[in-house]
Amino acid sequence: MAKSENVLNFLQPHDLPVPYMQRLRDYYLALGYGNPYRWAQYADVPFTEIKQSLSKLRVGLITTAGPLKKNAGDQGPGAAYNAAAKFYEVYSAPSDEDRFLGISHLGYDRKYTTAEDINSFFPLKALRRAAENGRIGEVSPRFYGIPTNRSQLTTIEQDCGDVLTLLQKDKVEAAVIAAN
Amino acid sequence: MSLTARYLEERGIPTVIMGSAKDIVEHCGVPRFVFTDFPLGNSAGKPNDAISQAETLELALKVLERAPGPRTTVQSPQRWSDDAEWKLDFQNVERIPKEEIKRRRAEFDKIKEIGQKVRDDTVAAKKH
Repeated sequence: MAKSENVLNFLQPHDLPVPYMQRLRDYYLALGYGNPYRWAQYADVPFTEIKQSLSKLRVGLITTAGPLKKNAGDQGPGAAYNAAAKFYEVYSAPSDEDRFLGISHLGYDRKYTTAEDINSFFPLKALRRAAENGRIGEVSPRFYGIPTNRSQLTTIEQDCGDVLTLLQKDKVEAAVIAAN
Repeated sequence: MSLTARYLEERGIPTVIMGSAKDIVEHCGVPRFVFTDFPLGNSAGKPNDAISQAETLELALKVLERAPGPRTTVQSPQRWSDDAEWKLDFQNVERIPKEEIKRRRAEFDKIKEIGQKVRDDTVAAKKH
């Protein structure tokens, strides 16, 4: 369709959510790796209703971003993919402090973004503001970092249980999970 | 990430995921999902744009409190840019020269080795 014919102002045909599963499958096959990654897939999905107004609840923030690791190379804005910065254990840190968190260990879009602003992938500041405004009851005393482990079994059998323990200890009543 | 949401929800903690990989999250099946159609790495809003970030979180909070049931996806109305070229670029083999594919293979082998070492070290440290 020529531009001049687009009287209904439709988007460009490729302006769809990126088909990441297919992209990554094709990418790693092209690189020569067989045995494509099997993404998690379920029919049943659990659901717990919010029983009170959010303005009364303690909300926890969960992230895949990681703390700065010593002697592990560049982890800041624009860093190349950095496997040395990976972490394989759930961690937590006080949520009333500002600290460096990086996503250099994750496969984010390095052509169109740089991770220069932590608030674009780790919404702690926005969550604090929501608490100040009374939109939520409060931010839980810690935030929680979870590994992105290739082994889904490890995620379920180890990491999920670890993060649940921390949330229960902190009496978290709802969780915001920021993916990367 | 998606597995964590499911796990917590099953044990009584309501969750909402903020993310940009729509197909991956929905393939898994999660309780609540705010989809922001941005390049990966910006699930909480545009960089250096406090309004975009506040609106993204507010949408997540709305979805947290109002989702009628599991597999609720709400797409943020925000646009990364008018030009959707970025969607065609991400790890698209059709756009990567053959030589570059070879180079990336060598690089990825190294990355895997480093990642494995970090994992092994973590396991070893736990045992001691």
